[in-house]
Amino acid sequence: MKIFSESHKTVFVVDHCPYMAESCRQHVEFDMLVKNRTQGIIPLAPISKSLWTCSVESSMEYCRIMYDIFPFKKLVNFIVSDSGAHVLNSWTQEDQNLQELMAALAAVGPPNPRADPECCSILHGLVAAVETLCKITEYQHEARTLLMENAERVGNRGRIICITNAKSDSHVRMLEDCVQETIHEHNKLAANSDHLMQIQKCELVLIHTYAVGEDSLVSDRPKKELSPVLTSEVHSVRAGRHLATKLNILVQQHFDLASTTITNIPMKEEQHANTSANYDVELLHHKDAHVDFLKSGDTHIGGSSREGSFKETITLKWCTPRTNNIELHYCTGAYRISPVDVNSRPSSCLTNFLLNGRSVLLEQPRKSGSKVISHMLSSHGGEIFLHVLSSSRSILEDPPSISEGCGGRVTDYRITDFGEFMRENRLTPFLDPRYKIDGTLEIPLERAKDQLEKHTRYWPMIISQTTIFNMQAVVPLASVIVKESLTEEDVLNCQKTIYNLVDMERKNDPLPISTVGTRGKGPKRDEQYRIMWNELETLVRAHINNSEKHQRVLECLMACRSKPPEEEERKKRGRKREDKEDKSEKAVKDYEQEKSWQDSERLKGILERGREELAEAEIIKDSPDSPEPPNKKPLVEMDEAPPVEKSKGPVSLLSLWSNRINTANSRKHQEFAGRLNSVNNRAELYQHLKEENGMETTENGKGSRQ
Amino acid sequence: MPTVVVMDVSLSMTRPVSVEGSEEYQRKHLAAHGLTMLFEHMATNYKLEFTALVVFSSLWELMVPFTRDYNTLQEALSNMDDYDKTCLESALVGVCNIVQQEWGGAIPCQVVLVTDGCLGIGRGSLRHSLATHTQRSESNRFPLPFPFPSKLYIMCMANLEELQSTDSLDCLERLIDLNNGEGQIFTIDGPLCLKNVQSMFGKLIDLAYTPFHAVLKCGHLTADVQVFPRPEPFVVDEEIDPIPKVINTDLEIVGFIDIADISSPPVLSRHLVLPIALNKEGDEVGTGITDDNEDENSANQIAGKIPNFCVLLHGSLKVEGMVAIVQLGPEWHGMLYSQADSKKKSNLMMSLFEPGPEPLPWLGKMAQLGPISDAKENPYGEDDNKSPFPLQPKNKRSYAQNVTVWIKPSGLQELNRLRKAALAFGFLDLLKGVADMLERECTLLPDTAHPDAAFQLTHAAQQLKLASTGTSEYAGYEHNITPLHTDFSGSSTERM
Repeated sequence: MKIFSESHKTVFVVDHCPYMAESCRQHVEFDMLVKNRTQGIIPLAPISKSLWTCSVESSMEYCRIMYDIFPFKKLVNFIVSDSGAHVLNSWTQEDQNLQELMAALAAVGPPNPRADPECCSILHGLVAAVETLCKITEYQHEARTLLMENAERVGNRGRIICITNAKSDSHVRMLEDCVQETIHEHNKLAANSDHLMQIQKCELVLIHTYAVGEDSLVSDRPKKELSPVLTSEVHSVRAGRHLATKLNILVQQHFDLASTTITNIPMKEEQHANTSANYDVELLHHKDAHVDFLKSGDTHIGGSSREGSFKETITLKWCTPRTNNIELHYCTGAYRISPVDVNSRPSSCLTNFLLNGRSVLLEQPRKSGSKVISHMLSSHGGEIFLHVLSSSRSILEDPPSISEGCGGRVTDYRITDFGEFMRENRLTPFLDPRYKIDGTLEIPLERAKDQLEKHTRYWPMIISQTTIFNMQAVVPLASVIVKESLTEEDVLNCQKTIYNLVDMERKNDPLPISTVGTRGKGPKRDEQYRIMWNELETLVRAHINNSEKHQRVLECLMACRSKPPEEEERKKRGRKREDKEDKSEKAVKDYEQEKSWQDSERLKGILERGREELAEAEIIKDSPDSPEPPNKKPLVEMDEAPPVEKSKGPVSLLSLWSNRINTANSRKHQEFAGRLNSVNNRAELYQHLKEENGMETTENGKGSRQ
Repeated sequence: MPTVVVMDVSLSMTRPVSVEGSEEYQRKHLAAHGLTMLFEHMATNYKLEFTALVVFSSLWELMVPFTRDYNTLQEALSNMDDYDKTCLESALVGVCNIVQQEWGGAIPCQVVLVTDGCLGIGRGSLRHSLATHTQRSESNRFPLPFPFPSKLYIMCMANLEELQSTDSLDCLERLIDLNNGEGQIFTIDGPLCLKNVQSMFGKLIDLAYTPFHAVLKCGHLTADVQVFPRPEPFVVDEEIDPIPKVINTDLEIVGFIDIADISSPPVLSRHLVLPIALNKEGDEVGTGITDDNEDENSANQIAGKIPNFCVLLHGSLKVEGMVAIVQLGPEWHGMLYSQADSKKKSNLMMSLFEPGPEPLPWLGKMAQLGPISDAKENPYGEDDNKSPFPLQPKNKRSYAQNVTVWIKPSGLQELNRLRKAALAFGFLDLLKGVADMLERECTLLPDTAHPDAAFQLTHAAQQLKLASTGTSEYAGYEHNITPLHTDFSGSSTERM
C-alpha cells in the first residue's frame, strides 16, 4: 500500500448551518426504566437527534474506527462550516485522536436555529478543506526530507467528506464546481510555496442527509471523474442510524477494511452469573487479514452483517484458550482491530478479555469438519491485533535437524553460559534521546552491538575448550572485565579473584581441566595452572584497551601469576604439545599490544618478595584513586605464611632494577583486601557466599548458577 | 519457494532440431536436457526445494506432485508421451489449483514454463486467451496474475529470431505483464543445441536457484550459513521507495528478547539457517544433509565435530525461550529462534520483519532498543520477573477506554460522561430529557430513601438543564458536575 494515498489525508466538512439543527425525526428510546416498573408512570416525551447530532456522531464513529485501526499516518482534519469555516484541528499527530475532536466539537456546540441562513454556507468549509489539503503533513515533510532530490515522489492526495443538506442536484453540482475551482487556484499558490503541496488527487464524497420521512431532493451518483485531479461521488442518505451505517460502509471502503465475526464466544449471563451463552462479536480490520480466503475463494461468508449493509463478514470460531503457554506462532500478518459495536456488552467482554493479556486462537469453520486454526486475537500493550496464522503446508517441513549438520556432533556446548550471555544482552527500549560526549545522538541499538562485540572478545563455545569459565572462582572477574568501564569496586573484585586463584594454586587445588582428547590423566597440576593463567590472561588482555582500570587488572594478573622458572625453561626449549588455550590466544591477537611480558616472568618471584617486604615494612595507605570498599567484612583468623612464591636462583641486576620499579608501582596498587585485613596472614575468602547461600560453596568447579 | 515445472508436450515440441552431429534431436529432448540440468543442480545445491512436474497440451496432467526426490522427477522426464496442441491457459489454471491446494495463497512459488513458443491455434490458444482475457467473469478469470506470490519463468526452446518472426514473443511478454511483471522470458542464444540450452538453464539457475550464503555474526562469534529459501527482495512502498531491498550477507545479531515479549510477530517470510562448512575457495562442503556420496559424508562428519556457533545459539535460544534480533540491512530486522517440527527435530530459523524503523509497535523503534546495562536499573527486574515490553501506545484505542453505558444514570461519573458526549454531539435534548427523568425519579422516591437522594437528584437535574441551555458557564466541555455538598449527620467532618 502507498503511504501517501488518498487515505493519508481525510477532511471532514460538516454543515453547521441553522437547518442542521432540525430534528432527524427518528426517536431515541431513552426512558428505559419505565418498562420494568409496574406502576402507571407516564413515559417522558420522546426525544430525537438533530441532523447535526447525527452527522457529528457518524463522523466520530468513522474516525474512531480509523484511529483504532490506523493510529498513525492516516490523518483527519475536521472542519465545521456556517458563516465561516471553523477548522477544529491540524494534521499533526497530537491532534489525531477522538478526545481532541470531541472537545473541539463541544466548544462549537449545536447549530443555532435562529442564525441568519443567508450568511451560512457549506462552501466556506469546502474552500477551507482544499486549503488544508495543500498543507503538508509531518509525514510528508519527513519523507520529502529523507528522499532529498527524489522529494517529488511524495504524493499529495486526499479525500473530502462533506456532510450537508443540499437543496437539489444542481446545488450539488455547484458545490463540486466550487471545489474544482478552489483546487485549481490553490494548486497555483502551492506551486510557489515551500510549505504547501499541490493536490494531485482529491476524492470528494458528498453526503446529502435529510430527516427520516422526507423525500430526498438529491440523487445518488457513483464516483465520477470531474477532472484529472478531482473525482466526486454523491450519497443521499436519511439521517439517524442510516447515516451512521453509510459512514461505516465508507470507512471500510476508504481504508480497505474487512469484517470478521467471532462466533461462539462463551460469556456469563448478566442476570445469571453461573450460566453462559454464546455470543458473536463483529470486528473490523484491514482486509489483508483475509488474504488467504480472498485468494483461495474458500470463503465462509455469514449473512450480511447489518441491515442496509452489503458488507460481507467472515465467521471465525472462538477456541477457548487452554493454557497461557508462550508459543511463537508462524504469523504472516497482524492487523489492528476495531469492534463494530464498541459499547456493546459482548464486544467489551471480548476486548477486556484480550486486554488482560489472553490470546485467543480462531478456527476456520470448514465443511469437511477438519479443524484449521487460521487466526489469533492478541493484545500488545493495550492494542488488539488480529494475527494471521499460516495454516497451509510448510515449505520447510522435514528439514535436516541441527544435530545432523555442521557442529551437530559436538556435545559440550556451553548452552547454559550462552543463555546467561543472552539474558545479559537482552534489549530494552530507550525512548529519551541520549547523547555521546561529543554531542552526537547515541543510537541505543549501536550500543547493543558494541556490547556484544565486547562480550564476545573471548568466548570459547565448548566446555572442553575452556578452564576459566568452568571455574566458579573466576566468575567475579569474568563477569565484570567485559564491561566498558570498571568501578573501583570492580577492580577490587578482579584483584580478589586473582589473589584467590593464587591461593588455590598454592594449595594445589585441582582445576576443572578437560581431559577430552588426552590420554591418561591429562596435564599435571602445575601445567593445569599454567593453562588456566594463560587463558585468564587472554581474557583480560582482550579488554585492556577499554579503560585504565582494565589495565590495572592485567597488571595485577601479571604480577600475581606464577610460572616456575623450570617450566619456563621447558617452554623455551619448545614443547611439542600445543595446548588449546594457545588457539584462544590467537583469537584475541588483535588486542594484544605488549608481547614483552614474558620476559618479566622470571622476575615474578622477586617481585612477590618485594611486595611482601613492602607489606611488612609499611602500613599501606589507600591510594587516593582506590578507596577502600565500603562493604568490607571482618575476616577470620589464619596461622600460615602468606601465599606468595619465593624466588629461586640468583638475583640479577635487571631483577633488582625491576624490583625497584615494581615496588614503586605497587604503591599505586590497591592492596589485596584480604591481606590487609588478615589475621596472621590468613583471610577467609567468599564469606558473603556462605552468608547468601547458607552453605559451603566450592570455590573451584562450577557451582550451580541461579 | 516451491517450483512447478510446466512442460509443453504438444506435437510441436517434437519438431526436429538440426544438429551438426550424428544424432537427431527434437525440441523436447533439448527441454528434457535443460530440465535434467536444473534438477541435478537442485539435488546438490538446493535440496530442500519442493518441485512438481506438470505436462500439458490441450489437457494438463500432474506428473509428479511436490517432492524433494529429484530422481522421481528425472524419471518422469524420460517417460513423457507426445500429445496434441498447446493450450496454455488451461495449464496455468491447473498450476493455480495445484499450488493453492498444496500451499494456499500466501507462499511464493516459482513457475518454470518450458515451451517452444508455438502458442496453439483456435480456442484455448494463447492468442485467443489474451484476446478475451478482459471479458472474463469471476468464475473463469484468466489465471494470471497467479493468486499467490509468484515468478513466472518462461524457457523457450527457440531462439529470439524465431519467436520474433511471429507474435509469439509479444504474447509471452503479455503473460509476464499480466503476472504483474513478476517473471522473465529466456530464449536460446544462437543455434538450438545442447550447449546453448545448458547456457539458458544456467542463467535460470543463476537467477533463481543459487543458494543464499551469509555469515551469521554475534560480536566475534560467527558462522557461515545458508539461508533457505533464498530471501526475496522486498519493496516497501512502490511510490516513495521503489527500489527492492535485499538482505545483507552479514546477518548481525544485535541483542536478544524473550519469546513472550516478541509475541508471535507478523513476518514476511521465514527461512532455515543452516550452518555450512566452506572450503578455502568458498565452495560449500556440506550442509550436513545426508548424501550417498562417501567423500561428502566424511567431510560432513568432520564438519559435524567442529564447534559451530549456530548450534550453540540454537541450543541456548531453545533452552531460554528467547529470540535473537538480527539486523538484515539498514532499518531492516528479523529474528532467529529455535523451531521444532512435529518429529521433534529442531532447527535454527530466521523470520524477516517488514523493513522499516518500527516493524513491531509493541517493541517501539528498533534503533531505540539498547542494552539493559545502559538502563538505570535492570528493566527485567533482579528476579527476572518483569519486562519493559510491550510498549504502551500514547493514545488508547476506543475499546481500551472506559466503556460508557449510556442513559443509565447510575452515578454522577456516568452523568458527566453522558454530559460530555451530549455536548460534543450537540445532543442537548438528551440532557433535558435526562434531567426530566431525574426529576421524576425524585418524585417516586420511596419514604425509606435517604433525604440526600432527593437533593442530589434535583441537583443533578438542575445542572444538566443548565448545560442543555448551551450557555457557556454551565456547558463547558471540561466542566464536571460535582455532588451537592450536603450535611445530614450533624457533624460536617464525618461526611465526605
